[in-house]
Amino acid sequence: MLAGRAPPGAAGCRRLLAAALAAGLRPLLCGLRPCWATARRAAGQWPSPGLRVPEAAEAERLVQQAQQLQRIRAPLRRFIACPQLARTVQRCLQGGASPGPRPVLLECAPGPGILTRTLLNAGVRVVALESNSAFLPNLQSLENSLDGQLKVIYGDFFRLDPLVTGTVKPPAMCSDKLFETMGVAAVPWRADVPLKIFGILPQKKERNTLWRLLFALYECSSIYRYGRVELNIFISEKEYKVLTAKPGEVRAYQALTILWQVGCEIQLLHMEPWSSFVTNLKNGGRALPKSTWLPNDHLCLVRLTPQQNLFTGGLKPTNSSTFIFMVKQCLARPRSRLTDRLNSWSLDNGGKLLRELEIPDNAETRNLYPEDYRRLFEALQNSNMFTETWFHDEVLDSIRNINL
Amino acid sequence: MTVNKVELAPLGNDKYQDLLQKVVAPGPAEEQPAPRGRGESPVRPSNWVEKSKKEMYIRQLKVERKLSIAASRLALEGQTKAKPKPKRKDKAKAKAKAKKRLKRPKAKVAAAQSQSHTGSHNVYAHSKPRVVVVKEAAKAQRPQTVLKNKDSNQHKVLQQTIQSNLECFLFLQQPEEAERFLLLYHRSPVKRRLLNVNAYNIVMRIWARKGCLQRINRLFSMLESIGLQPSLDSYAAALECMGRNQSCTEAIQRCMQQLKNDGFHVDELFQKCLFEEDEKENVLRAIRIVQPNYQLPPPPSPQTCKSSLLRDFYSKEKMVSYPKLDFSVQELQERFQQQLEMELNNTITIESVESTKPLTPQAIKARKLLATLRSRWHDSILQALQKSKHSMSKLKTASGYNILYPYLCLLPDEEYVGIMLQILNTLSPQGESLAVLARELGSKVYNRYITQRKLRSRQLEKVQEVYEDYIHLLAKDSQPDEYLPREYWEKLVAEGGFGPSLNLKDCSWPYMLIMRLGMHMLELLVHAVKVPRNALNPHLEHKLIPVLYHVYSFRSSWQVGLIKPHPIFSQIVSDAAETLLTFNSSAMPMLCPPVPWTSPHFGAFVLNDTKLMRFVDGAIQHQLLLEQCPPVNLHPVLDALNQLGNCAWKINQPVLDIIISIFNDKGNEKLDIPPPISEVPRPPATPSNSSTWNKSQKHELLLYKKKTAEMHSLRMDALYKLSIASYVRDKVFWFPHNMDFRGRTYPCPPYFNHLGNDVTRAILLFAEGKPLGPKGLDWLKIHLINLTGLKKRNPLQERLEYANEIMEEILDSADHPLTGRKWWMNTDEPWQALACCMEIAKASRSPDPAAYISHFPVHQDGSCNGLQHYAALGRDLIGAISVNLMPCNVPQDVYSAVAQQVEEFRKKDAEQGVKIAQVLQGFISRKVVKQTVMTVVYGVTRYGGRLQMEKRLKEIDAFPEEYLWEASHYLVKQVFNGIKEMFSATRDIQNWLTESAKLIAQSGQTVEWVTPLGLPIVQPYYRSKSTVLNCSMQHLSVKSSNSNQKPDTVKQKNAFPPNFIHSLDSTHMMLTALHCLRQGMTFVSVHDCYWTHALTVDIMNQICRQQFVALHSEKILQDLSKFMLEKYCRPGRETRAPWQKKLMDQLSNVPKTGKFNLKEVMDSTYFFS
Repeated sequence: MLAGRAPPGAAGCRRLLAAALAAGLRPLLCGLRPCWATARRAAGQWPSPGLRVPEAAEAERLVQQAQQLQRIRAPLRRFIACPQLARTVQRCLQGGASPGPRPVLLECAPGPGILTRTLLNAGVRVVALESNSAFLPNLQSLENSLDGQLKVIYGDFFRLDPLVTGTVKPPAMCSDKLFETMGVAAVPWRADVPLKIFGILPQKKERNTLWRLLFALYECSSIYRYGRVELNIFISEKEYKVLTAKPGEVRAYQALTILWQVGCEIQLLHMEPWSSFVTNLKNGGRALPKSTWLPNDHLCLVRLTPQQNLFTGGLKPTNSSTFIFMVKQCLARPRSRLTDRLNSWSLDNGGKLLRELEIPDNAETRNLYPEDYRRLFEALQNSNMFTETWFHDEVLDSIRNINL
Repeated sequence: MTVNKVELAPLGNDKYQDLLQKVVAPGPAEEQPAPRGRGESPVRPSNWVEKSKKEMYIRQLKVERKLSIAASRLALEGQTKAKPKPKRKDKAKAKAKAKKRLKRPKAKVAAAQSQSHTGSHNVYAHSKPRVVVVKEAAKAQRPQTVLKNKDSNQHKVLQQTIQSNLECFLFLQQPEEAERFLLLYHRSPVKRRLLNVNAYNIVMRIWARKGCLQRINRLFSMLESIGLQPSLDSYAAALECMGRNQSCTEAIQRCMQQLKNDGFHVDELFQKCLFEEDEKENVLRAIRIVQPNYQLPPPPSPQTCKSSLLRDFYSKEKMVSYPKLDFSVQELQERFQQQLEMELNNTITIESVESTKPLTPQAIKARKLLATLRSRWHDSILQALQKSKHSMSKLKTASGYNILYPYLCLLPDEEYVGIMLQILNTLSPQGESLAVLARELGSKVYNRYITQRKLRSRQLEKVQEVYEDYIHLLAKDSQPDEYLPREYWEKLVAEGGFGPSLNLKDCSWPYMLIMRLGMHMLELLVHAVKVPRNALNPHLEHKLIPVLYHVYSFRSSWQVGLIKPHPIFSQIVSDAAETLLTFNSSAMPMLCPPVPWTSPHFGAFVLNDTKLMRFVDGAIQHQLLLEQCPPVNLHPVLDALNQLGNCAWKINQPVLDIIISIFNDKGNEKLDIPPPISEVPRPPATPSNSSTWNKSQKHELLLYKKKTAEMHSLRMDALYKLSIASYVRDKVFWFPHNMDFRGRTYPCPPYFNHLGNDVTRAILLFAEGKPLGPKGLDWLKIHLINLTGLKKRNPLQERLEYANEIMEEILDSADHPLTGRKWWMNTDEPWQALACCMEIAKASRSPDPAAYISHFPVHQDGSCNGLQHYAALGRDLIGAISVNLMPCNVPQDVYSAVAQQVEEFRKKDAEQGVKIAQVLQGFISRKVVKQTVMTVVYGVTRYGGRLQMEKRLKEIDAFPEEYLWEASHYLVKQVFNGIKEMFSATRDIQNWLTESAKLIAQSGQTVEWVTPLGLPIVQPYYRSKSTVLNCSMQHLSVKSSNSNQKPDTVKQKNAFPPNFIHSLDSTHMMLTALHCLRQGMTFVSVHDCYWTHALTVDIMNQICRQQFVALHSEKILQDLSKFMLEKYCRPGRETRAPWQKKLMDQLSNVPKTGKFNLKEVMDSTYFFS
């Protein structure tokens, strides 16, 4: 697990770029040499269109304008407004890429399009998925001015594959429709990353979104139906601490930790103070969150790459909900002993099982490594414990709320 | 003891506060080594424990402060550390603190609130546990006034805990234990503050019963040493002891001299103290040793309520005798004995209505298996209980002792086992939340303890004695007495003189204690009850597995602990198809007239403890308020409740039999008879291996399971109701009543009562029959048409004509309910309609319908009752017309009127080119506005109103979807404008009430008022605060409102207008009930729906109108303003504070009223119809 600490970045860039610019946002196209371009396009690398990237103050104004057009108060959203931050993010996103053809980058909720332009300038092929129709005209005119390097779609990434049955109303949408529009085909699990996604998790639904993504990952449904989609997301420092917590860390080490660590390689790309982001609040406030238990001063750009070997052992997309349920039950009370948990599920010989796994009898559930949980699950799978009907029923009950 | 003490302990004075903070300050204790977790052993491999991390964390913890630990925990856990040496304690504190911190993430379950309104624990019909967020944020210091208030309340809870513990020792007759416990507190200068003189008094009483005068003397000197004044009860205990010992004259004289020196009078002993067993006799004996001619003081002369609304009612000149029941004294006595027997057993087991089904061989086998298992479980639970008690009693000899131990000794072991087995039997296959089960177990123990106490103190004997005389007031073969039930009861008690008091000394247990006890029993149950794994499948190897397992259910970010039965157990139970149902005796209707309410603590059931006012768990504010209120102010309310409770009922057997036949067949969803589970459509067959299911298969299975769970609870609810009804089918029975905090009345038995649905109402009849009289048959017919929901807007005459037109259908329905044309099935309230059809058929076929004796209740409904009260309060002319306060030929419909008004606004706007107004052309109807108008009274906001509108508009297919938001927004604005136009004063009053409540709540106080009948009301809404109960199975986060916190401003504000209106409608109902009583009529109510015999409908209608006029002729708003000014703006209470000034202006500025002449109501036919 890679979780190096990156230096906090463009905190002050907003201040520096306070001078308002009056210029319009019409893209400035520099001359393209078509034949040269085609060759590079094939490899997923486009020539820089040389777009002008608006300054922070202007971006902020655009966000405010879009907000005015809204009839109902939109939920809190954050945007990248400062060009410097956008460049940092762009470098992070392109860093560590394999030499082969580069996958498309899906940018969720680009808003004023600061990062979008920066990415386009860096030669990345971008699909912009925007949920606020007020931002669409600008993005669409940008799309039209380019030669296929940008695709704009109206939709909300965080309302993908809604749980309710019935017709899906935009901006909510189905993942298969999204992937069809993007032209991204499904690849086998062990293949390379078919798609990169960048987004900022909505603050209010952060945890919920993380859980939903997790369920999708383990079930290979939604975006993960198309292979090991790489997520590059800004999450709060608090949640980052949870995702990367180590066994025994009180508070931070949770079911979410274990499941994400088993499921993905977690890489910290960058940390940025909350204040660098523009919000859509009417008063232009920054809506800094508070946290009492864990540090929470930054938004962390985290790369979540699904493990290639996730489904090589006993774990399968079909039985993974049992695994999730088991971990959640164990961590519901982190200080309880694992043996007690197993006993409370009326397991036959929990003690013997633990000895075989070389887990001490008095181990507390919060002291097990994520890998231990995986081994425990596989062992239990073999011991027929899950065939006991009640456990199965519980699993179904528990997934009802989040997944289905 | 932890840091929480600062939060919890009552801070009466600064000295105390300093002291506490010193004790608690983290200081150097922070450097203490990390405490070991409970189960950690040193052999654990190093990678399991991240030591340094933990230590760091602990240090962090010590700096942080935790708030949400309960008052009770202080009291409870305090006892585990007996040594009051400050130094050692300091250490212990730090340890305990750290330990607690480490257990943070835990299941947070708030106690379900099913009790608040039904007063029952519904095991099957799932009451959803309320999940509550525990706030971790540090709380700022409150303003001083609030603090004081808060402390006094917090103090109360702690004192309650101590006293309930001491009461336990009193009950167990363990004076040494009690004194040891008292000394624990007495010796510590900190804890001593929690003691008041009552705690010492309880210990004195235990010694007094043993006749140990020396010990009592010692307690007196202990009192003196800490500067507490002995109270009357202390002297009563001392004198009782002297009377018991036949002490020498000097000692008694000294004692009586001291009593006088403390400013008491000997007579007060008998006027104010509550006595148990022979205490009173012994006190008197002691006094007579020194004053041989001493006579008991005469009982206080009964006071009469002075309310102007009830001057006639209480005037002695117009006194008439109380209506007699159709029973002899002998019969009533027998019924009382039956009731008493039932309550003494605590529970009653009855045959369910399903018992008529034939038994399958499978069921016989399963029942046999279940019987063997049960006897095994009984033994193992008993063993586990005794083992746990034994280990607890061992602890006692060490430094501290277990707090629960005395509570596990109160009853014979067998009773605890019985309670636990009972819980096991009623557990639904879906399981139940821990908190609900724990509360149920705990309160069952409490209830039995109360029963035992009543027996032990000989209170029951006395009740029996008084009741036997009391029934003479009601029996047909005794002399008429010109008393009300309450007055007669009080007179009999006063005449009785000797013996124990009827009110028990307050002995309620704090809520947290009940939960703790319940959790302990639940743990025993989970560990002790096992079933062989191969019980159903003999191929498996034999192994005992637990019957109950503990899992967590995750609801968004919350986890709730559940106890579920193992599927094997559920299967056996379902196979056995047992047809016996066990109920608490308080869930059954009473078999004799209820004991009249004479005080907030006494009335309703013979033994079962019933509160006059239902309360939200843990809230004690109402109770305090009622206690402080002069008894005479409560008389009207008590008398009204007695009147409602004294209505005798019987079962409409033919209707019940039809319902049961459908119930036992396949049910009928359309007729609201829930079908059995077997009728749920099964999902299509799925592959047996669950892991291969796809998403839609899983989804279908989930839907199926959800449907099954819903059906199960509906079916069980109906089963309970019908089985109880069937059990009392040949009996006459009574529903004792109590009320909620606003004064709305409810029958106490939770399942089967006249407030129930159509099915339950249809099987109830008045036990008393009255001839129909000249107009009775017509009223029956009109009632029938009212029940159908047809002809709502036609005059009464047309409804009657319509009934006569369809007489053939009515008779067909009555004669061939299931085989005929089934006209009754297509009505709004089919079952009541059917019952009414049958009654009409019988009456019309009798030779003289006017002489036909009818038991049938006829209903009269208020039309939009909330708005009626508003319109009357504001004297709104247009409003009054639209809610039928004005006489009119046809019933007015407020919803159509508002719709019309809105349509007018729309037209105007459309002409002026407002787009949305044009779009809405032709879409505004009664249906669209109805819900919003109805809920306006209950404080619906624009936001909520818009959502309602949107829903209605969505239902109209032709409405263009893209305009939904705009249109609903526009409509709700216009509806509010329309209401404002029609009920101009109403909106003003509503705003005035809301604004006043807001200011009061913002000043940190709760909104209180007094109804025109004198009932004090307080809104029990406080910011929720959770208390974490550490139990070994799971930490329970229990929401408790007893530790007085800041009022919930939003709730206080938004709920005030509707609550105030509810308090008025309940007042109107009670006034009507009391005046109907004076006319000798039968009267019961379902809030704003009044029931009586067909013969007396006209009189009831008249009284109902008279009382409405009388009620609103009072200066209700002015009185409210005066009361609130007095309460919240008393001079001298921070008059300079800016909020005080603002509040004063707000409260004194009573809204103006309109020109409606209230007297018109007298002639309005459709006011109640």
